[in-house]
Amino acid sequence: MGISDKAYKVLSSIPYLLSGVGITLEITVIALMLGTAIGLFLALGRVYGNGVVRRFVIFYSRIIRSLPLLVILFMLYFLGSEIIDIPAFWAVILALAIHTSAYQSEIFRGAIQSISMGQMEAALALGMSKYQGIFAVILPQSLRRAIPYWANEATIVLKDSALAYVLGITELMRRGEYVSARTSQPLLTYIVVGLIYLILTYAFTKSMARVESRARIPGLER
Amino acid sequence: MSKSILRVENLYKKFKDTEVLKGLSITVEEGEVVVIIGPSGTGKSTLLRCINRLTEPDAGDIYLGDKKIETGRSNLSKVRQQIGMVFQDFNLFNHLTSLQNVAIGPVKVKKMDKKKALKSAMKELERVGMADKAQNYPAELSGGQKQRVAIARALAMDPKIMLFDEPTSALDPELIGEVLEVMKNLAMAGMTMMVVSHEMGFAREAADRIVFLEDGVVAEMGSPEKIFNNPEKSGLGSLSAK
Repeated sequence: MGISDKAYKVLSSIPYLLSGVGITLEITVIALMLGTAIGLFLALGRVYGNGVVRRFVIFYSRIIRSLPLLVILFMLYFLGSEIIDIPAFWAVILALAIHTSAYQSEIFRGAIQSISMGQMEAALALGMSKYQGIFAVILPQSLRRAIPYWANEATIVLKDSALAYVLGITELMRRGEYVSARTSQPLLTYIVVGLIYLILTYAFTKSMARVESRARIPGLER
Repeated sequence: MSKSILRVENLYKKFKDTEVLKGLSITVEEGEVVVIIGPSGTGKSTLLRCINRLTEPDAGDIYLGDKKIETGRSNLSKVRQQIGMVFQDFNLFNHLTSLQNVAIGPVKVKKMDKKKALKSAMKELERVGMADKAQNYPAELSGGQKQRVAIARALAMDPKIMLFDEPTSALDPELIGEVLEVMKNLAMAGMTMMVVSHEMGFAREAADRIVFLEDGVVAEMGSPEKIFNNPEKSGLGSLSAK
């Protein structure tokens, strides 16, 4: 069997591989939405919360960031078999969301703290409440600053979603494994799988760069 | 005797081990322009920040009109609405245009209709000569322009008194004039003002009364003529030379 025959076997599986992209994206997007919401909430607690809240967030962030994603995933999945049943699909999403929320809480905390104290003071001096100051003054500025760091974290979530394959979800990576077994061409198969991840990541990074430049405040150096 | 608009009684404030205010008392009458001078570290800024509770005083009472200022939250917002504050570092909201900076207070705090707020914000910008920069962002303005917008932002809340915390100290020398000009116009329009400043020319020209703070208390006060020409304290001797 010549090189071109081998290549043909793998290349003809591309449509099959691509049909896994949908699930990969689904997992990524839902995990990101959850993780961003939790991460932002944690960051606000870390910066503006009382001592108990602050200590909890620091504790949570430290623990989660110390655990391999795979360990979090297995804990959630086997929590399923022992207490409540979590479907594999949701176990993956939750694991990714929890994992990224810890990193995102640090991203958002840094972004919030990078806004000078004077901004909040000016808001308060006008008669705004602390909440109004946070939502009308601090967050619009800090979220803009967080965009590139958040985008980077989002691509990590996208790539980490490949771990879903260990629970048998037929997303991109899992399909790659099937193709590799069927064609006996692991190298070529994973090169193709890798290219698909690369294209997804590149497209996402490009579009986030667009978002970033559109959100830029005129005149402000970054 | 005119009505007192602000009364500070026996104000104390300590940061860590440093006593900054040591029983300071001062009264401001309606329409009066009070300029506060004194060596640095003597509590001038702390006094202003205690008045609108950006800094919590340790002891002492502050009255706005005949209402005592207390820390309870809802009360505090009402009080702060009536006290305009201008900061040394401007603290304009960087993500908003000049116009939005001026309008945001009335919209968020007074729940004013947005269109109406933008319209009256434009009037405030005209008042400080910044109407042509209404659509510019703070980062596109010079320091003097920023400070004029910041003054307009405070004025938009229709305050009873304006506090200026070293409003020209962060400015390049050639930009100080335009800000002082706006402040002089305000003073002439009858605004009650409390100004912490090192600008002796402004003090001499615009102040009804000069208060010399030293060591956390009022060391001396009086009309500009008295303070500059016949100071009782030796510390002021150096000022009249300027």
